[in-house]
Amino acid sequence: MPSERDTPRNPQMTQVGTALLFALAVIIMLGFCLLPVAWQLLTALKPTAELVSLPPLFPSAPTLDHFRTVFAERPFARILLNSAVVSTCTTALGLAVGTPAAFALAKLHFPGQQVILLGTLAVSMFPQIAIVGALFLLIRLLHLRDTYWALILSDTTFALPLVIWVLTSFFRDVPNDLLRAARVDGCTAFQALTHVFLPVVAPGLVTAAVLTFVFSWNEFLFALTFTATASARTVPVEIALFPGLHEVPWGELAAATMVVTLPLLVPVGLLQRRIVAGLTAGAVKG
Amino acid sequence: MFRTQSSERPFCFVLPALGLMAAVALYPLASTFWLSLRHELPIFGISRFVGLAHYAELWHDQRFWNSLANTLYFTVVSVSLEVILGLGAALLLQQVFPARGLVRALVLVPWFIPTVVAARMWEWIYNPQLGVLNFLLVQSGLSAEGVNWLGHPTLALHAAILADVWKSAPFAALLILAGLQTIPPDLYRAARVDGAGPMQTFWHITLPLLVPVLGLTLLFRTLDALRVFDTVYVLTGGGPANTTETLSIYAYRLSFQTLQFGYGAAVAVVIFAVVLGVSLLALAALRRLGGIPQ
Amino acid sequence: MPLWFYLSRENAAEKVNFRPVVQRLARECYAFTLLLLRLGIVALVCCLGCAREQQGEGPLSLVFKHPKLLSREEPLRVLLDQFQRAHPHVQLQEEILPASSDQQHLFYVTNLEAGATDFDVFALDVIWVPEFRRAGWLHDLTAYLGPEGLKDFFPHAVEAATHAGRIYAVPWFLDAGVLYYRRDLLDQYGLALPRTLAELTGAAQRILAGEANPRLAGFVWQGKQYEGLVCVALEFIRAYGGEVLDEQGEPLLTQPAAVAGIGALRALIAQDHVSPPWVTTADEETARHVFAGGEAVFMRNWPYAWALLNAEGSPVRGRVGVTALPGSEAHPGVPTLGGWHLGINRFSRHPDLAWELVSFLTSVESQRSLALAGGLKPTRIAVYKDSRAQQEDPALALFFPLLWSARPRPVTPFYLMLSQVLQGELSAAVAGIKPAAGALSEAEQQIRRILALNPAEERHVQDTIE
Repeated sequence: MPSERDTPRNPQMTQVGTALLFALAVIIMLGFCLLPVAWQLLTALKPTAELVSLPPLFPSAPTLDHFRTVFAERPFARILLNSAVVSTCTTALGLAVGTPAAFALAKLHFPGQQVILLGTLAVSMFPQIAIVGALFLLIRLLHLRDTYWALILSDTTFALPLVIWVLTSFFRDVPNDLLRAARVDGCTAFQALTHVFLPVVAPGLVTAAVLTFVFSWNEFLFALTFTATASARTVPVEIALFPGLHEVPWGELAAATMVVTLPLLVPVGLLQRRIVAGLTAGAVKG
Repeated sequence: MFRTQSSERPFCFVLPALGLMAAVALYPLASTFWLSLRHELPIFGISRFVGLAHYAELWHDQRFWNSLANTLYFTVVSVSLEVILGLGAALLLQQVFPARGLVRALVLVPWFIPTVVAARMWEWIYNPQLGVLNFLLVQSGLSAEGVNWLGHPTLALHAAILADVWKSAPFAALLILAGLQTIPPDLYRAARVDGAGPMQTFWHITLPLLVPVLGLTLLFRTLDALRVFDTVYVLTGGGPANTTETLSIYAYRLSFQTLQFGYGAAVAVVIFAVVLGVSLLALAALRRLGGIPQ
Repeated sequence: MPLWFYLSRENAAEKVNFRPVVQRLARECYAFTLLLLRLGIVALVCCLGCAREQQGEGPLSLVFKHPKLLSREEPLRVLLDQFQRAHPHVQLQEEILPASSDQQHLFYVTNLEAGATDFDVFALDVIWVPEFRRAGWLHDLTAYLGPEGLKDFFPHAVEAATHAGRIYAVPWFLDAGVLYYRRDLLDQYGLALPRTLAELTGAAQRILAGEANPRLAGFVWQGKQYEGLVCVALEFIRAYGGEVLDEQGEPLLTQPAAVAGIGALRALIAQDHVSPPWVTTADEETARHVFAGGEAVFMRNWPYAWALLNAEGSPVRGRVGVTALPGSEAHPGVPTLGGWHLGINRFSRHPDLAWELVSFLTSVESQRSLALAGGLKPTRIAVYKDSRAQQEDPALALFFPLLWSARPRPVTPFYLMLSQVLQGELSAAVAGIKPAAGALSEAEQQIRRILALNPAEERHVQDTIE
């Protein structure tokens, strides 16, 4: 499969000096990305009294108090579950609804395709704050306030343009011979989709799934407006609930940031090869 | 493309997606357009149709132009930085080195953190007395008392830009990396045979072939940057003196802080128009550069 | 972020033999995709079950919405349990909102504009009451209160919730701007408590010169562009005898008193060098952290900081004092009133029951327990005079005179619009972008335009609603 290709070895690359320079560049890049997060980790480990003074950069006595508070005083475990369920369902629904649409837009011929494609993009061009009021009315009308479905429906709708565009391009790049062969074998278009095309565009599905999952996991405004209690609240809103009327518990906020980021890191770490492969595979034409 | 056979019903494939989007998104979008044509001030019980009066009002609204300028400046600077840094990172990540997979995953960490959480994090970093940035500046002697990051009229917007770049550059890097992967290695081999150095290879082979990817990354980051809200609002609240107020923040203030729903909806429609205009322009440009097929 | 770049590859990439690749992918990824879909289906089924969870429709349910008030939930929880036990036929539900005033306002506006019936009692920031009243979102409480009205409450807090003799919300707890100072530093330099701004500046300068600590700030206050800045600026304007609006609702911002007040505010940073430049980004917590770390001599903040400054492990424990804000030579200091009121949703299905909750939560006993347990300053005078409470919490007696003199921000439905204008212009003045006079005159221009929005003929329409 068209995976990461080796870069050509330039004779100059093999010199130690260049290698050191390269290592330095990688370290700077990692530093830029990770140092703020590392600082959050330090903040999460500092005892509260030390948070108000800076000369101690590192905690003198690292403590897990903030983490304990995050889970003990708040229903954080339940909130994580809520986020996980909402994100997974959003991803599943988005893929389930978007894949046939992308297939039809890419492979089948019918009038109005370009209009539909551009139209789906227009859905994501509005600023969220403009839509939240009217959308909330709709949610209340359907009696979905403070349920998972409110978030799943709204997140899926606003992630659909992304899913459709990604998958459309993947489907476009699959050679038409496959559909032709499937037809010759007597498949209907739908059977062709499920039995022949899906395995082929699997990297695209993975990519779309990851993008949708992260979008739904991080979504804040709809979650704030549509949920009311811990039964449906998601993680970003819960973190917004940490500050009291005036106090901002920076330690707990930092601990929560750590807790929120780590669950995503593991699957992406495992899947990153697939993701890059997915981004690449769709680009190559056969 | 295939001609559909009579037994296939292509619209059935598209219908669930269209149905969902129409059901959920159509009403809010339409109601925003409709609201922008009305004078709606619930606290005074005003509710009447005024046509395009709000747009005329916007034309003369100094604060609107200020927020538009801020938004455009923010977009241009942050997106340029993101693409440049993303390109650099992608070039690095393309090389073969030990633990490359781990490094790639770690580089994506900023993208995972929810925007509001990341903004809070940067607020803490920029804290004048207790933030680590000022601490390092003072310790290293670069600054006597630390910098007033979020309270200085010109610095505040740049501080917000840095926070946004931090969050989005890794994703740009990922996109560009994938684009780099598709450049055939034969071209590099041929260049080497012809005696080209790394810089020449980059300028004459890599960059031209990357133009479509770069263009698309620019396009999508631009669309998001034009609508930026959370990052800037958490860091500065639009201040000091409205120097960091973006279009979305202005729309939020109008609709939800001062309850001028009609006027706020008009600003939202303008944001939509700007985003739409930019994307159509970019699509046209990309088509010309050999990007999008028709 | 859609990955449009695929669409660009059609003309650029070379062709590759796809078929063996496809077969490997089919095995590897097909199963993965099916697994994902299966997981999705399982999750869907789960959440279908979850979606049928209680929607708050019990036998008779009462919903109380409030922001997160204290870092611990028990003091309020205890009270609510007490109410629940006293009303067993009612299901009382508590729903918490983020403490950010903005986010709550967003929530209430979105809901009440839609005529939401999902909550009955809710906590309002004192500045929202006139606006919500005018929009018709608050239940008129005058009938419930009877002829006694709110006699036992702080008059200024009641003033903020009253219109044309009718009361629309009950003050729950109070806030007022106060001056914190480092008692040890003032004693060390033999300085008396400053009564005027000039005295404060002088004292701070002496201490700064004496300590020669570059990280020590003289006077920290909230200068970020947000509501807190308007509170602080109002205190300075009133200290010079000025005001934002007069009794007829005409703006007075270009009067010499207001200009002097804002000029003094800017001078603290620019000329006297008593406030560091970063106060233009400081909110309550930033200022408190600096003061709590021992790096400021004076701080203007709300009463909540007192307990935190004197808590275990605080570097300044036992070394701080609190007093009234300074005024000018001719006028005393006037703290700005803050705090939260309890209101009943006009669209609530059980207003009588909601009233029982409101009157319970604002009773003397409830306010006393919240004050003692959580440090929330009560709005009933009786609690301050209660000797047992005074013994248990000496801070009550300490803060009573400071709270008594607090005056509210302009009580008008326009207040939030005014505040938006003021925040921007005051921030410009404080950051030195515009001179005080210029910023205030521009603010006044915009305020006049806003006040003109209030249509005289429509005013009657609104007033006929209940």
